[in-house]
Amino acid sequence: MFAQLVDGIFWNIALWVFGIGVLWRILSIFRVRNKVDYSVPRGSGLAGAIGANLRRFIPRREMISRTRLQVVAGYLFHLGLFALLVFAAPHVLFIEAQTGLNWTPMPYWAFIVSAQLAFIGLMLLWFHRVMHPVTRLISDADDHIAAILTFVVMLTGCMALIEGFDGLRVLHRFMVELWLVYFPFSRLMHAFMFIPSRAFTGAWFGRRGVKA
Amino acid sequence: MAAHKKTGARHHRIIVWSLLSLVGLTLLLPLIPYAVAYVNPETGGVPNPGADLWRAVREADVGTTQVQGVDTGVLINANGERWRHFRMNQLIPIGAMLMGSVLALIVLFYLVRGPLRIQGGPSGKKIQRFSVFERITHWFTVSLFWLLALTGLILLYGRFVLIPVLGPEGFGLTASACKEAHNLFGPMFLVAILMMFVTFVKDNIYARGDLNWLLKGGGMLGGGHVSAGRFNAGEKIWFWIAVLGGLVLSASGLVLDFAVFGQGRAVMEISHVLHGIAALVVITVSFGHVYLGTAGVEGTIGSMTNGYVDEAWAKTHHDRWYAEVKAAAGKTEEAGSVGGGATASSVVSPVRDG
Repeated sequence: MFAQLVDGIFWNIALWVFGIGVLWRILSIFRVRNKVDYSVPRGSGLAGAIGANLRRFIPRREMISRTRLQVVAGYLFHLGLFALLVFAAPHVLFIEAQTGLNWTPMPYWAFIVSAQLAFIGLMLLWFHRVMHPVTRLISDADDHIAAILTFVVMLTGCMALIEGFDGLRVLHRFMVELWLVYFPFSRLMHAFMFIPSRAFTGAWFGRRGVKA
Repeated sequence: MAAHKKTGARHHRIIVWSLLSLVGLTLLLPLIPYAVAYVNPETGGVPNPGADLWRAVREADVGTTQVQGVDTGVLINANGERWRHFRMNQLIPIGAMLMGSVLALIVLFYLVRGPLRIQGGPSGKKIQRFSVFERITHWFTVSLFWLLALTGLILLYGRFVLIPVLGPEGFGLTASACKEAHNLFGPMFLVAILMMFVTFVKDNIYARGDLNWLLKGGGMLGGGHVSAGRFNAGEKIWFWIAVLGGLVLSASGLVLDFAVFGQGRAVMEISHVLHGIAALVVITVSFGHVYLGTAGVEGTIGSMTNGYVDEAWAKTHHDRWYAEVKAAAGKTEEAGSVGGGATASSVVSPVRDG
């Protein structure tokens, strides 16, 4: 019964909430009107936007010693999660069943390595958030819920890897549905917003001739 | 004519008796060796090719086969039975007794002695004991350790503890989930152990005073607290048990986890035995560490949550470390007053954040 709900109506609801919620968040941000800037531009806004997007991938030299852990853990987590999400064989098969699209999945050993890198990164980042006095102070419930929910989704996915028990697959899918529903209302939205956000800042400064 | 009839009847009798004799001999002759063996077992050494074959199989004789691979010539692994016997009759019961006894002793100790208090009570002044990175390393290792310990204990004791609660199906699902999680998180534990080693090893080398600390049982024998540096001898012993035990666990776990490098059953069995013993030892000793870090010693838990301890705590339990910190802070303050840069709060500890 629960499995039917999870595979059926819960999945549809989660997808709709995720899709509409993400669109609504993105549109609501793009619909915010800025004051018209009448000043004479001193540089290119477009170049500033592109430059800021690229430069943000590398930590500023002055900050490297203080942010080494967050940078390394951040890359481990995001690259590992991306590989798991897009190239894990069960996910490729699932996407093919849902959409008809398919591509070559990564081999089993690569799945294991990606999962481990993602877990190491996520755990280190969350412990840093909790242990560092500044990040602890500026973090709220949303940050912790997002991190823990993502961890649980990854954990249940790995627990269901052997595909010997349908209950484990259903549990993983249910956690994914919770994650999808939570996504648009949380800072998980940064997955969609980090590029426009960097672009806006870069363009704003770029127009004034400042490298952001 | 009559003579011809007589001859015919005699032939019939001969045929019938011959057939009966043949049937009788067919039935009786194979019993002769057994009868001989029954009457005189010493002389009844009847070679039984089936018995010889299965004896050879039990003794793990390597045969020939067209299948190429590790241990493919072994039909039955005799050591497997010895390994199974060790797991079921020694590792599981002795491990349970070990962990149960230590837990009971800790509870008894707490009930009799209570928590160790800070001499003179907390001063209200805090000094930094662990940096952010040290605490991240500690909690990263702790979370992996307990995730692996719990999943491992479920795999070891689940059939006794969980089957009555969850039933065979429920336990099958739980065990499968635990096995996958255990295998996945295992290699990460090696990363955590190496981080722990690099971060804390410099303060966990034997130093003068450690033997005295041990001889006095950390102050429990002979009364009063014993002088100690940043880590006392007990903490140093735990560090090395955790690191060396963790390395044994990781190495044996990798052998079990990735059975694709040609390791045979014998290597797997030895790895499993080492893995089980090391796990039970490290888990058991960790009970003491958890107790002393939380309920056992007043004011200790803060060192690993916010990084700070009370100055009176430091004086009570780690007086030499406290003196070193104050001396270093004093030197920096002097330099600061000359240069006019540093503040008291920034030099309270030589341990850096980040």
